[in-house]
Order: sequence, then structure tokens, then C-alpha cells
Amino acid sequence: MAAPSRPGAPGLLLCLLGGAIAAAWGSAPPAPQICSGCCAGSVRNGSAVAGFCGARAGAGLLGRCCLERAAVVGLDLGNCSLSQLCPSFREASTAIVIDLTVNQLEPPPEDAFRGFTQLQTLALPVELDCPGGSNMWDNITTQGHIRICQGQRNPCNGSGGLGWLCPEDSLCAPDGPGLPQCLCVGPYHGYKCLRQGTFPYLLFYGTLGAVTIGLSILLWVTQRRKVKAS
Amino acid sequence: MPGSLRRQPANRVLVPQFTHHHVAVFLLTFFSYSLLHASRKTFSNVKVSISSQWTPSCLNDTALQLQPYELWNSSHLFPDIGEATLFLGTLDTIFLFSYAVGLFVSGIVGDRLNMRWVLSFGMCSSALVVFVFGTVSEWLHFYNKWFYCCLWIVNGLLQSTGWPCVVAVMGNWFGKAGRGFVFGLWSACASVGNILGAFLASSVLQYGYEYAFLVTASVQFAGGVIVFFGLVTSPKEVGLPEVGEEGDGGGAAEEDAREPLMGGNDSYDEDDQNYTIQAADPSSSPQPRAIGFFQACCLPGVILYSLAYACLKLVNYSFFFWLPFYLSSNFGWKEAEADKLSIWYDVGGIIGGTIQGLISDVLQKRAPVLAISLILAVGSLVGYSRSPNSKVINAVIMAITGFFIGGPSNMISSAISADLGRQEMVRGSSEALATVTGIVDGTGSIGAAVGQYLVSLIQENLGWMWVFYFFILMTSSTVLFITPLIVREISVLLGETPVRRSAG
Repeated sequence: MAAPSRPGAPGLLLCLLGGAIAAAWGSAPPAPQICSGCCAGSVRNGSAVAGFCGARAGAGLLGRCCLERAAVVGLDLGNCSLSQLCPSFREASTAIVIDLTVNQLEPPPEDAFRGFTQLQTLALPVELDCPGGSNMWDNITTQGHIRICQGQRNPCNGSGGLGWLCPEDSLCAPDGPGLPQCLCVGPYHGYKCLRQGTFPYLLFYGTLGAVTIGLSILLWVTQRRKVKAS
Repeated sequence: MPGSLRRQPANRVLVPQFTHHHVAVFLLTFFSYSLLHASRKTFSNVKVSISSQWTPSCLNDTALQLQPYELWNSSHLFPDIGEATLFLGTLDTIFLFSYAVGLFVSGIVGDRLNMRWVLSFGMCSSALVVFVFGTVSEWLHFYNKWFYCCLWIVNGLLQSTGWPCVVAVMGNWFGKAGRGFVFGLWSACASVGNILGAFLASSVLQYGYEYAFLVTASVQFAGGVIVFFGLVTSPKEVGLPEVGEEGDGGGAAEEDAREPLMGGNDSYDEDDQNYTIQAADPSSSPQPRAIGFFQACCLPGVILYSLAYACLKLVNYSFFFWLPFYLSSNFGWKEAEADKLSIWYDVGGIIGGTIQGLISDVLQKRAPVLAISLILAVGSLVGYSRSPNSKVINAVIMAITGFFIGGPSNMISSAISADLGRQEMVRGSSEALATVTGIVDGTGSIGAAVGQYLVSLIQENLGWMWVFYFFILMTSSTVLFITPLIVREISVLLGETPVRRSAG
């Protein structure tokens, strides 16, 4: 049984190695789906994303995206005939600039932008409101058919903030425009931030083990050693 | 005085010369049961954390769901804390019932197998069940109501091995003469266990409730191991004389050692036998093997004491379970304060058990002491139900109530159970101790389980005052059940007085 597997093993290993290398070098960085899978073409010349990407050192265009070290920092889905955001839209959560203009978009779901904490400039068709509401953005401008939401505000601060609603041992943190979240603070962790620190296994079991062995030996010697087997 | 020479060995029995074996047995059994009780206490002390873990966060309105979802709302065993609390209450009742059933069985098992093995097995296996219940299920995030129920039934059965075994071992080592006092002191083990459990749970609860279970289960397991290596179940094992022969006046022992009483004499000794065995003749009832369940039930006093204990344990356990709740709901005191204050009931019970045990040792009669204490208990219950809104006064009356209710309760479950299990009728085998203890405590636990339900029912429909009337009724029933025993003991007491006088 071992014999036939032997010649196969190095081949398998090579195969795995090759795959790993391919993953690391050949197709790396793996292009996010959103850059080409959502809408064909490339970033439009003269768009906000193109300008942003050109000015940013270390960033490069790929399909519809502006990538920086494999992370999407800009996304231009302008003129894509989208009625809804693509399922892979979440891949762009690291984006700083997003352009969704010239689309017949339906209002996106409330938490479509959850996790988009870096987003600073969002260009939308004028029919749509800025996500999270107008008081979640520093500056909102409309130019013809375009609405530009600029400067995402921290949803935990100010009148619209929900920071005070976070339960004990957790603090409000921004999770996208108008989307607060509650994260455990300091030493607290686990479900509902109920836990604190890590259990000292070594100390506990060391002490317990030593005491158990010590007492067992002591009692065996003083008590049970004299017991006659009956 | 001719009696003075004889009196010396009699005194030796009343203040027995304890060997280091006695001390080891006392401490081992004491802490075995303490650890078993500690793991029960842990469960009630982590209830808040557990119900938190089992429920999603419920911020008043659904529009504002806390994010991220995994952190705040991913657990859905129960929709809200209220239902989780209800389930935890159900687990308590399930535990008490399976514990009661287990007690009947464990006693029988304990008398037939080596009690060291049974106790050690019970402690280790119940520790494993608690570990799976509280720790493993949390590590695997496996939350299932039926799984929890099944584990708690098994835990009740396994935990029940503890009490009959430790009482039987104590009964083997400590003779009837000093039993009331020693057992009174020893029955503090449940209260010490409560304090130990509360301490262990609170010191690791910050790491997560699963570690409270981990710690108590580990300590209990270690206790089981130590018991296995250290417990000597009977003086026979190390070649010491059995206390039964030494203290209770067995036929084979030398005459001096047969006298269990200060100022006792030969004619008294016969009376003593009469009272314990009633009509039975010791020589005509030799039982070579361990006693059967029904035989044990038929032993004089077992059924009456069991029924009395059912009523009394109902009241006693209701105090344990409901006192903090009563204090915080009736007087509006904070829960943590109410928890601390309710310790005074325990304190009263420990002192009561010890002092009443001592008195009963001196009198050589337990039933009259019980009766007087229980009649005073009715009075203290009336007083407690009218306690003013003052923590000091309340604590004092609470301690007094504990003294008169907890004291007799401790005495029946330990010293009297041991008396019943080692009486003359079963002298031949002396393997009835665990069975009898199981019957008495099992009946008591059924009473306690039913009581938990009844108290919540009465309290909800009729109010706290009726709960106290119910307690008074139950305490009076206890007196009623032990009345036949008192009548018998009093008549023996009266019958022996002239004999004593003539001797002195």
C-alpha cells in the first residue's frame, strides 16, 4: 500500500508547491472581483478616481479599481448601467474614493457601506442621498446629475451619534457612514465583552496538581497504608 | 462511690479519644461534601453570566441592532433573559428531583460496594459532567436545552452518591455518644461549601463563566482523587474497634465500654436498647448482609423521620433559595446586600445544629430536643414574617430562625440518620447506614423540590405572608411526625429516672 503512494508523493508535493508559488507570485496580488467582475472596462479618464490614483504614490489602476498594495483605494463604477450594487462591492471597503455616477441605481440597503471606514469621497447619481444621511458628511455638493458626499463624519460623535448606547465595557467605533458599532474596550473580549484576561491555566493546574499529589501521598502514608487487604 | 471507677471509661466514650484517623475522616468527608455543594453553588452564582451568554442583546427597540452581529446577537438559545432565568429555575428543579431519586439508589449502592470507591467515583464523575455542562459546551459553542437537561439529571444522580456515603463513613467512625455534637459541627460542611463555591466562582468569573465551572469541577475531581487515596471508611479497616460496639452497647463488647452515658449503669443500658429497637429483641434479628431498601424503610423511626425531614427540608431549602429574593423584593434591598445578609441564616443553622446536637448527646434523646426547637421555630417564623425594615434586626431574627430550623434540619439529616442506620436491629450487618441516610435525605429532597414550586406559586398568588403561613404549617407537620417518637422517648426517659435514682 505504501509502494504506489511513494512515486505519487513528490508529484503531489510539487503540485502543491507550484500552486502556492502561483498564488504568491504568478497571480499575486489576486485582483479583487469588483475590479473587473462587476463591470467591464477601466477607470474612466478624467474621473475623480483617475485623478486620485494619479496623485497617489504607489497606487496603480487595474480595471475599474485603483489598487494600492492589493487593496482597493479607489473604485470607479461610473456608466455601468447598474441598478443594484454588485455582490462583490464589499471588497471595496478599503476605498477612499468611489464613483457610482451615471447609473440607474436603486437606493442601496442601509448597511451597504458597512465597513467603509476610509471612504472620504463618494460620487452618486443625484437621485440618491448620501448614505447615513446628510449629517454624516462634512460637505455635500451637487453638480448637475452628480451628488458628491465628502468627508465622512464619525457616527459616534455629535447629536446623531449612538456612542452612549453601547453596553458596558464596549465603546462605539465607526463602521462606515452613519454606521456605528460597539467594540470591546481594553481587557474585555468575547461574546458581549463579558470576559476579561486569560485564565491562568499553568498556575491553577500547577497548584491544584501539587496539592492533590501532596495530600494523596500524605494521606495514603498516614491513613491507608495500614489498611489490611480484605 | 462505687460508680466512680466505672465512670472513667464511660467518660472516655463521651469525650472520645480521637485518633488522627478520626481527624482525617472528619476533614475528608467534610470537604468532600463541601466540594459537592460548592459546585451546586457555582451554578447558582453564575446564573446571570450564563443567561447573558444564552441570549442576544436586547436593546429596547429592534431598529437599533448592536453591531457587529457576531459580538452582540449571535447567541439565540433564548430570546431574552427572562426565559433563560425560567430555564435555569427548571434546571434547579430537575436537579433536585434526580438528586432525590439518586439518594434512594446511592444509599443502597453505598452499603453494598466500597464506600470509598462510590464516593470517589461520584465526585470525579460528577466533576466531569459539570465540566462538560459548563466548560466544554461553551468552548464548542454548543448550546442545547435538552443537552443541558440531560447532563443536569445525570449530575443530580452522581452528586447524590456523596451524602449517604459521607454520613455513613462518619457514622462508622463517631459513636452515638458524641455524635450529636460532632455531627452538628460537621453538618456545617454544606454551608462551608456554599461559601467556598461562591468564593471560587467569583474569583474566576471575570475570565468567563466556563472557568467558574472549570475550577469547581477540577477542584472537585482532585477531591475525589484525594478521597480515593486517603479515606478509611471504617475503623475496622485499620484494626480499630468499631464504634457501634464501643458506644451503643453491643453484646460482645466489655461491660464498661457499653455505657454510653454519664452516670449510666447497667440497668440504664437495657432501657437504652429498648428505646432504640422498640419491641425487637437484638439476639433474634441477626442480619448477615446489607439491608434491603424496604427492610430499611421498615426500621423503626425511618419513615417518620423521613416524612418529618421532607417537611423541614422544604422550609429549610426555601430559605436558602428564596431568602435573598424575599429580602430584595420585600424590603427593596440590593441583591448583593441581600445575598450577604442571608448568610446569617446559615450561621444560625450551624450554631443551632452544634448546640442542639450537644444537648441531645447529654440527654441521650434527640426527638424532644427537635420538638422544642421546632416549636420555637414556629414562633421565630411568626416573628420573622413581621420583621421591621432594619437590616440588623432582620439579621438577628434570621439567625434565630436559622438556629431553630436549620439546627434540627442538620440534626435529622446527619446525626439522626446515623443513629437510625446503626441501631440495634441492624447490628448484625451494620451495612444499613448509607441506605437509611439515602431514604431520609431522598424523601427530604423530594419535599424540597416540591417546595420550590409551591413557594413560587403561593408567593405569586397569595403574597409573602401566606408563604410564611405555609412554612409554619410545614414546621408544625414536622412536629406532628416526630410526636410518636417523642412520646416513646419521653416514656423511656421517665421510666429510667427511678432506676437512676436508686443507682445514685
